[in-house]
Amino acid sequence: MKPLSYLGSFISTFFHRNNEESEMDEELRSHIETHADNLERSGLPRAEAERQAHIAFGALERTKEECREQRAGFLIEYLWKDVRFGLRMLHKNPGFTAVAVLTLALGIGANAAIFSVVRGVLLRSLANREEDRLLYMRQSAPGAGNEDVTFSVPEIKDIGAGLKTIKELGTLSQLDFTVVGLGDPREISAGVVDGNYFDVMGLRPVLGRLLSPNDDGPNASGAVVLTHRFWTTSLHSDPSVIGKTMRLGSYDGTRSAVIVGIVEPSVPYPVEVQIIANIVTSPHHLSATMVTGREHRMTEVFARLAPGANVESARSELRTVYAAMVAAHPEVYRAADHYTLDVTLMHDQINSRARNILWVLFAAAGLLFVIACSNVANLFLARTVRREPELALRSALGATSAVLRRSLLAEALVLCGTGLLAGVLIAVPMVTVLGRYASRFSVRAVGLTLDSSLIWIGCALALIAAVFLAYVPRLPSTDTSRGFSASSGSVRVTGGSCRRLRVFAVTQITASFLLLAGAAALLRTLLVLQNTEPPFETAHVLAVNLPVMTDGRTPEQVRTFYREVQRRVSSLPGVENVASGFSVPWRDGRALNISFSFAIQGAHRENAEDDPRARFRSVSPGFFDTLGVPILQGRDFNAGDRDGAERVIIISQSVAHQLFPGQDPVNRQLRWTDPVMKFIGISFEARRIIAVVPDLDDEEIVPVPAMTIYQPTEQEGWNGRMFVRAKNDPYALVPSIVREVHEIAADQPIERASTLDDVRAEVLTPNRLNAIVFGGFASLALLISVVGVAGVLAFSVSGRTREFGIRLALGAHPRSILADVLREGLIIAGVGVATGVLVGFLVSRVITRYSAEMQLPGALPLIASAAVILAAALIASALPAVRAARVDVVRALRSE
Amino acid sequence: MTTQADLLPGTLDLLILKSVSLGSLHGYGVLLRIEQISRGALLIEQGALYPALFRLVRQGYLKASWGTSDNNRRAKYYELTTAGRKRLREEEDGWNRLVAAMGSVLGAEPEEA
Repeated sequence: MKPLSYLGSFISTFFHRNNEESEMDEELRSHIETHADNLERSGLPRAEAERQAHIAFGALERTKEECREQRAGFLIEYLWKDVRFGLRMLHKNPGFTAVAVLTLALGIGANAAIFSVVRGVLLRSLANREEDRLLYMRQSAPGAGNEDVTFSVPEIKDIGAGLKTIKELGTLSQLDFTVVGLGDPREISAGVVDGNYFDVMGLRPVLGRLLSPNDDGPNASGAVVLTHRFWTTSLHSDPSVIGKTMRLGSYDGTRSAVIVGIVEPSVPYPVEVQIIANIVTSPHHLSATMVTGREHRMTEVFARLAPGANVESARSELRTVYAAMVAAHPEVYRAADHYTLDVTLMHDQINSRARNILWVLFAAAGLLFVIACSNVANLFLARTVRREPELALRSALGATSAVLRRSLLAEALVLCGTGLLAGVLIAVPMVTVLGRYASRFSVRAVGLTLDSSLIWIGCALALIAAVFLAYVPRLPSTDTSRGFSASSGSVRVTGGSCRRLRVFAVTQITASFLLLAGAAALLRTLLVLQNTEPPFETAHVLAVNLPVMTDGRTPEQVRTFYREVQRRVSSLPGVENVASGFSVPWRDGRALNISFSFAIQGAHRENAEDDPRARFRSVSPGFFDTLGVPILQGRDFNAGDRDGAERVIIISQSVAHQLFPGQDPVNRQLRWTDPVMKFIGISFEARRIIAVVPDLDDEEIVPVPAMTIYQPTEQEGWNGRMFVRAKNDPYALVPSIVREVHEIAADQPIERASTLDDVRAEVLTPNRLNAIVFGGFASLALLISVVGVAGVLAFSVSGRTREFGIRLALGAHPRSILADVLREGLIIAGVGVATGVLVGFLVSRVITRYSAEMQLPGALPLIASAAVILAAALIASALPAVRAARVDVVRALRSE
Repeated sequence: MTTQADLLPGTLDLLILKSVSLGSLHGYGVLLRIEQISRGALLIEQGALYPALFRLVRQGYLKASWGTSDNNRRAKYYELTTAGRKRLREEEDGWNRLVAAMGSVLGAEPEEA
């Protein structure tokens, strides 16, 4: 009943409105006619009387407008009417509407999506309590080429003693534990923390308890907290895991620990760990190496500000303390290395990597929005110029410029509103894609969700665009006589409108060029990386993590295990070679980073500090064969190179060149001189060089000469990675490898089997994504600009029909007219590109002032982008040009 | 756009209310009556009259009904409502006070100064 009566009242109001309108008409007509009657009575002929009555009354339509404005709710009614009018106009031009809406949707959608990501990744606050008081510390030694150094326990003791601005320090060191007793045995990334860690981080448990100072010290029992992510993804949020005991195996032995709690979801920084354990779980952390080794750095330090302190005061206090420590140990902190300490807010530190990328992306989206608005403004402007007769007519009938503006605004609102709807639809999947992209740079993008900010930013952009569009066209001047002459059928393009059209077209080209140049530079980087031949075989080599299990095994048993695995796997059908080592190329960043200083045995050294450094690699016999690297000189390691035998090493070519220029390095001797050696169980004894191999850079995608020293795995070396070279498909071998290994040791974890090709592809993923995302942006921008340029030229051609007609009639060749239009397109594109180069240059200068990471794209991407833009402009102008050349002379001349 | 230059702002409403109070009138009649009573001293722009009439109807001071004019044309006749009558009294009082005040100011003798 109720909806029905509502409908009824709506209909009656509607009819009532129509009634009011006709009553008003009648009343005013009656007024004028009564006046005419009186004039007629005074002797005027009827026609003249009516004419004078009309003149006396004044502008009838304007009076009507003013009367309507007196009615209740007239504003809403007007807006509704304008919107309906706008809808009708847009419906009449489906092509224009489709292009405009789609363009706006892209511009609005891209911005809304990127803003959501920026908000989620950069602006959202952390889960940590009072994150604005949570600090992160790092030291660096630029002189030693080390930008990012963790801390050692003695350093933390020195720095942390008696601080006034810091309430507490929390420490975490990352370690891989081989975990038994939690599903399949596997290697799990763990953080070993002190008892203050969770308090400093300001995190709460969701289940059980976290670690406290009671868990510190060698006599506490092993306790483990699981990260929320690990608990939910690997353990299906099973609450019964609390209280479970597991065995944690690391290099120095195995300990058991009880799961005491689950920590709330938080950003894992700076390393992703799955479990967080107390110090007692890692025998290494209690060893003298860890406790007394000043250069044994593996610990991250976090700090919470004391009440009343701020980041600046903490930084200056810490730097003072740090400087005192550096001065007290000149043998460790060599002056030339310039050791410094940096303190940042945790929030800023976490965002540091994603910040630049996301802001650049945001800028790209902004450019896209500018392009989209310029394009729609162009279409809108061109259409308004075509509608000039209509607007002039309305203005002559008494429509004020405010009324005309309002109706343009309503039309723009309809356009932008539709664009907004479509844009949000586009933005939703875009956020997912961008979130996956951003997760490469920030852990915070993992699990990014949509929020209402997307809609709000979309609405704001749509409003901006609508107001912009409505105020871009010039209204017909109040001098109605000019307007009327234009209403005679053809379009007369006013100079001002045409100039605006060109300005917008140039803006689009400029923005597209900037995007295209950026994308081209990224693409070039990717191509260079992708086309670089790796210095060893990658397609057929399978890398497998086979972590060392020390639980209940003697070192000899561990060695026997790897020997046995190698023997059995190499006898599998389809296997060409098998070797083991300590680090998978490109993948095991931390292990690959290890380098030590060394010297020629017996050589006179001026200064121990100037010893060269070489990458340390530990490989089994057959490693070079497996990777297809030739041995240039000497022999490979063999089964005899084990503990107790003569110590041997293999060096890379650049070591040979640098230390033994023009000499035969084989059988010469080197020894490690790095002070760190004493902590890691590698002796300073002399080692005989038995072979030289080519430099094979396993860290960088684009190889650089790398001084590398190889030591046998069984001679103070490390193990844990297996390399299998297959005759055919390497992945087909995985099941049989797993079977063989488990026959030897059933609880041996076997993880991350992957060809070196795929490892490399994985490393390149961020570059590929960069190129794809920016390439996508640039292609969209280019597409929109092509439509824009084509639109401007088509419009300009239609306005010059008469001129072309005259020229053709006077004997001009159609080809010259074709060339004329094409030239116009090329000039727009050329000016756009030139502006783009200029703007790009200025922007890059501003950016380099704030960030040193900015790299200017080389000439090639710039030239390529310019060529693409010019070609696109040529294509865009082709259609209007052909139309211009085909102008029908007779019709063109009669068109006015 | 609004009232004539020689008409004080806000006085158009008063004039309309007053002329309608003497008997119901159509729009053209309002014009004629004001012209007649003021002996042509007050001329009202024809276009400005109707928005004012519409406004007074919306405010509830006037009500309108269709009738037939002397010229035998259908016309809309306006008459005062009760609220309109009250409004007219208020406006008249206000106006008279203003005129009296203005008169005493303008009639002030120079020797008193």
